[in-house]
Amino acid sequence: MIEFKPVLLWSDILLFVLLGLTLSGAYASWRSEPMRRQWQRLGRNAAGMAAAMVLSFFIVVGVLDSLHYRARLPAQGDTAPVYGVEVLSVLDALLMPLKTNSEKTYSAPLAMRLFAKEAVEGEVGRDFPRLRYGGAHLGDDEENHGWDVAVQVLGGLGASMAIWLALAWRLRGGGPGRAAVRWSLLLLCLAAGPTIALAAHYHVLGTDKVGQDVLYLALKSIRTGLLIGTLTTLVTLPLAVLLGILAGYAGGWLDDAIQYVYTTLNSIPGVLLIAAAVLMMQVVIDTHPDWFSTAAERADARLLALCFILGMTSWTGLARLLRGETLKLRELDYVQAAQAFGVSRRAIMLRHILPNVSHIVLIALVMDFSSLVLAEAVLSYVGIGVDPTTISFGTMINAARMELAREPMVWWSLVAAFSFMFALVLAANLFADAVRDAFDPRAAQ
Amino acid sequence: MTLLSARNLSVRIGAAHPVADVSFDIAAGETFALLGESGCGKSMTALALMRLLPDAARIDGGTVTLADVDLFALSEAEMRRQRGRQAAMIFQEPATSLNPVLTVGQQIGESLALHRRLRGQPAREAGVELLRAVGIPDPRRRWDEYPFQLSGGMKQRAMIAMALAGEPRLLIADEPTTALDVTIQAQVLDLLADLQKARGMALLLISHDLGVVARMADRIGVMYAGQLVEVAERAAFFARPAHPYAQKLFAALPDAKARNGRLATIPGQVPPLDTHFAGCRFAERCAAVMEVCRHQPPPWFEPVAGQRVRCHLYAESVVSRPTEAAAETEMPAVAAAANGETILDVVDLKVHFPIRRGLFRRVVGHVRAVDGVSLTLAPGRTLALVGESGCGKTTLGKAVLQLIAPSAGRVRYRGVELCGLPPKTLRGARAGMQMVFQDPYGSLNPRMRVGDIVAEGMQALRLPGDHRVRVNDLLQQVGLAAAMADRFPHEFSGGQRQRIAIARALAVDPRLLICDEPTSALDVSVQAQILNLLRDLRASLGLAYLFITHNIAVVDYLADEVAVMYLGRIVERGTAEEILRNPRHPYTVALIAAVPRVDGVRGEVLSVAGDMPSPANPPSGCHFHPRCPQAMERCRSEYPGETGVSATRVVRCHLYD
Amino acid sequence: MFAYVVRRLIYALPILIGVNLITFALFFVVNTPDDMARLQLGVKRVTPEAIAKWKAERGYDKPLLWNANADGAGKLSETIFYAKSVRMFALDFGRADDGRDIAREIRRRMGPSLAIALPVFVLGLWATVSFALVLVFFRATAFDLAGTVFCVAMMSVSGLFYIIGGQWLLSKVWHLAPISGYGEGIDRVKFLILPVLIGVIGGIGSGTRWYRTLFLEEIGRDYVRTARAKGLSEHVVLFRHVLKNAMIPILTGVVVVIPTLFMGSLLTESFFGIPGLGSYTIEAINAQDFAVVRAMVFIGAALYILGLLLTDLSYTWVDPRVRLE
Repeated sequence: MIEFKPVLLWSDILLFVLLGLTLSGAYASWRSEPMRRQWQRLGRNAAGMAAAMVLSFFIVVGVLDSLHYRARLPAQGDTAPVYGVEVLSVLDALLMPLKTNSEKTYSAPLAMRLFAKEAVEGEVGRDFPRLRYGGAHLGDDEENHGWDVAVQVLGGLGASMAIWLALAWRLRGGGPGRAAVRWSLLLLCLAAGPTIALAAHYHVLGTDKVGQDVLYLALKSIRTGLLIGTLTTLVTLPLAVLLGILAGYAGGWLDDAIQYVYTTLNSIPGVLLIAAAVLMMQVVIDTHPDWFSTAAERADARLLALCFILGMTSWTGLARLLRGETLKLRELDYVQAAQAFGVSRRAIMLRHILPNVSHIVLIALVMDFSSLVLAEAVLSYVGIGVDPTTISFGTMINAARMELAREPMVWWSLVAAFSFMFALVLAANLFADAVRDAFDPRAAQ
Repeated sequence: MTLLSARNLSVRIGAAHPVADVSFDIAAGETFALLGESGCGKSMTALALMRLLPDAARIDGGTVTLADVDLFALSEAEMRRQRGRQAAMIFQEPATSLNPVLTVGQQIGESLALHRRLRGQPAREAGVELLRAVGIPDPRRRWDEYPFQLSGGMKQRAMIAMALAGEPRLLIADEPTTALDVTIQAQVLDLLADLQKARGMALLLISHDLGVVARMADRIGVMYAGQLVEVAERAAFFARPAHPYAQKLFAALPDAKARNGRLATIPGQVPPLDTHFAGCRFAERCAAVMEVCRHQPPPWFEPVAGQRVRCHLYAESVVSRPTEAAAETEMPAVAAAANGETILDVVDLKVHFPIRRGLFRRVVGHVRAVDGVSLTLAPGRTLALVGESGCGKTTLGKAVLQLIAPSAGRVRYRGVELCGLPPKTLRGARAGMQMVFQDPYGSLNPRMRVGDIVAEGMQALRLPGDHRVRVNDLLQQVGLAAAMADRFPHEFSGGQRQRIAIARALAVDPRLLICDEPTSALDVSVQAQILNLLRDLRASLGLAYLFITHNIAVVDYLADEVAVMYLGRIVERGTAEEILRNPRHPYTVALIAAVPRVDGVRGEVLSVAGDMPSPANPPSGCHFHPRCPQAMERCRSEYPGETGVSATRVVRCHLYD
Repeated sequence: MFAYVVRRLIYALPILIGVNLITFALFFVVNTPDDMARLQLGVKRVTPEAIAKWKAERGYDKPLLWNANADGAGKLSETIFYAKSVRMFALDFGRADDGRDIAREIRRRMGPSLAIALPVFVLGLWATVSFALVLVFFRATAFDLAGTVFCVAMMSVSGLFYIIGGQWLLSKVWHLAPISGYGEGIDRVKFLILPVLIGVIGGIGSGTRWYRTLFLEEIGRDYVRTARAKGLSEHVVLFRHVLKNAMIPILTGVVVVIPTLFMGSLLTESFFGIPGLGSYTIEAINAQDFAVVRAMVFIGAALYILGLLLTDLSYTWVDPRVRLE
């Protein structure tokens, strides 16, 4: 009996395509010796490798969250299997208790009671009601709350340290890059161990207005951020590489035309162009409800459209950069030598220009990633980002900011969203720096 | 009186020692030259003296005393007071060494204010006087101009003026004329010599050029791999260099005497700086190497008074010492075809680049890079195209290959007209002519394997046969191993890259090779290897060369015929013998006289004044008349026609009408 | 010079036309006015009459490009394209959904926008350039490393955090400034302090890093070595030689944004309740007021093109090699 039916959302497909392209690209460049030396240089960069470890944690979460399925509903008689409407992911399955154990409304991190007073049944007046799940294993034994938390933390720390020691032993030796991997793994283990231990019994980061576990929301937001940061490149990359190199190498009217296009696009303030395009996209989606069979598909379409729009508005910078570099490269002697053999333009662009601008492309893409993740939050906050039903850092912040005015303040949603985002973006920025240092020939000198 | 004294100076960059245990003295008023090939540590030594080393480099030991002041004991602030006042420095690239956004006056004024406390009008007067002293015409106007408004030679003069502003007792000149043309180089060297004499300044000259050193130095220090290996008086050194390395440098110089033989070369390469040396640093490449050289660093010997050398050969136990390495094996004379057959025929070729201005980018004029050039070249012959930078010789080479579309004229290769051919048809003719470029680092795609680079032409022209086998043969033919086909260019030295570039050109079996300054980026010893290779190929394959160069010595060694180019036109052409021994055109005369000679003898001819005018706006009449010492009234109005002086020689000069 | 400016302005025209066409295509071709009407009116109440009324109120009841029913020039001018797109070149932006004249609203809101954007721009530039110069002065030391790490951390923080955190800390905890709002006369200064401060802090990370890279690149050049060889002190080298040369790349990034300062900042203004163009845009986006968004796109593009022109002109001021012909 099949217990689930796999669901492939368009964004999943694209993400896996991109992942495949990245891996095969990495493999190809590993086989090319000059590129490999640069990868090795990256491998020796301590900050870069530590950042890569943190990034790979985020990527694993994002990929797990991109394996979607619909669970089979309990069979009723001999009828054909019926599958639930809700599209779940492997991450959801792993985090199932977090997903389903929602409280009534706000509760602080690790709390056992709700944040707001309510009229409690069987009592006079109002009190902070006991949480349904948070600390439920303690029953009425609320005195031992602190003690229990400490025990859980220690237990988690112990388990994670054991795992780390095993891993570190496997990864012993090596240069500064390897050492950085070990230390960043330690950091990840130290953070993950207690969190996992606590999450079994508490809401580690509290709950939001409708009682959803904030840790769950933050983890689910990672996929959205990753998708925005990476899928956008599927649009920017072909446009920028093709048009940039073509403009630089072909010159003449083609150059004029391409320059005109990107100057025009560039002259519209980014946010406004995105706003206008997103508004129009919303109209399209709203006027064609029949295109989507599930809410997940609709949210997914909107996410992809946002990537597309971000891509359309952000390829111009890279294209201009590549045009400039191509102008320089085409005067180089090896290009002239190829011309003296009568090598075709297409072959010159593919063989001589493209490989020699690939480091610029790589650096630009890695650098763009973090700004795109940050942009998603701002756009979603403004209301021109992802679908309001999509869990993202932006929607989390948007939902939480109204509660800042409460006394005492509901701070945990915001802090959770901002810290997850900060960790992701900081890791991406550090990694981008390391990539630049490793691949920029000027930095290499 | 000793002005500067360096003792056991060492510089460290990471694990590498670009300068190791260098000691020398410079007396007041003396010129001491540090001679060596690139990477030998001579510039690093100079920067260490000034304590201006790049951030990564550290002084690793030693002392430097300048006018009785221990420079390495000074604080940075005290050292600053020494710079510019006691010792000033000028650099190789005048184009980048001046601040582009400050006027000449501002930059000289800074030094005047700092060292002579002159500001305002007095500073201006003193500065203009300095500019006049370094031979800058119209100094009042130049004072307020920016570096980009000056020519290369003028910039270097301005740099010298700036260095003189603090009235230093020692001037350090780091390759001061390497970026300049020979005629300008002659002017700047004259200027430096005159200034030194007039001011009694000591000069530390850093150069790779034996000719320049012979022209300028009183004493010479030869550097190799971070060490001084020989220190000698000029006369003694040029009469009889003592160190095997110095001897090889002389033997590797191309000239007419070597015409029928191979040039001496030094096998291998300069060792990387982080090598750990057990013995003599030159041992691996030395022809006279002995067992002791490999594990014991040689001490200093003084075989002749005033000539010290660091070489085991001069230990008293050694009996047989090598004399100067003679030119190596004789080579078969080239069987040049003289039956009137031509391989290349260029008629009245013009390449004009439009200059656009104004609202609608109207064409307001043309840069006449190549302005009516005619040439013929017979199979198996070598035609040298000689001229200074900006004369249009590279453009001419590329136009012949149809890499730049000519504006007018004809290029015929074996009787086939190439100009205006559609790309498809042109491709067929491409195999016959190929090019070897100047910059060995820019001419190979860093992302391609050597084998693919060499095979590129064969693939593009869809030549038959097994490309893989052919690549291996070619690599061996140019003196590389076949196994190198799988490597990438970054693993190769400049000379090896140039060999790869030659193999790439040869791959399509051309009959004519256009060599655009193929050795000007290489050191003398490596240049000799490449010149030998080109000679061997010419003999074995019967190649014709169109050899573009500014190096007269190379021309003398390799060329059968010479064409001298000035501002887009050929002013004189003939056989190499005719042109080089008995030049007729005043420009050719000046060009050849300006080349500093290793024997230190100077031609009795006036060097030309001024700079080459812009090809966008050439002078009326004969283009050379503003610089010509023999200009007549007629030269100002009328461009001279061709005059046949002999059966093989043509001159365009009114003197020979 | 004059000819150059004229030529650049002529070049700018096709770009503005391009921008105009893009917006027209986005707003009227991707979705028809009927679609927009349906969306705005909500699904329940959509009747053909309501749609017609909605369109008539906004002047969308005309053909897109060609009016066959009109006479003469009216065939072209009695169209949405003419009324909504071409008229923008005459700075006629029509009316917003609330009936107000957009052009007048823009003029009114420019002041408050500028009151925030200009101080943020000036102070931010000053702070980042100074900080970068300090880092470069201490280059390759632990201080430089710490500064660089600090910058990367600063630029990894979401802009929203600076605003929310700043409001919470300075207004709610320390009570140093009002949390939001805007006043008249001298009174407005107290409302400006917080947003300006937050704007400057938010830009420090990326700005400093960028300028530090520029300065480091300049400091490796040959003329710097020449200047040191003269005996000049390090701060003279830095301020006189390096800074002046670095002005060229600095201006490239800086001058172009000066005209767009008028547009204000979307986030800051909406968070702090500043009645500027940024919050105007946000309100329009949230209310799906297409006319306002269209107008802002056009103005933004025009100001950007003006910025490009100013950038080129500013080069003549710092780079003697540039001569505009």
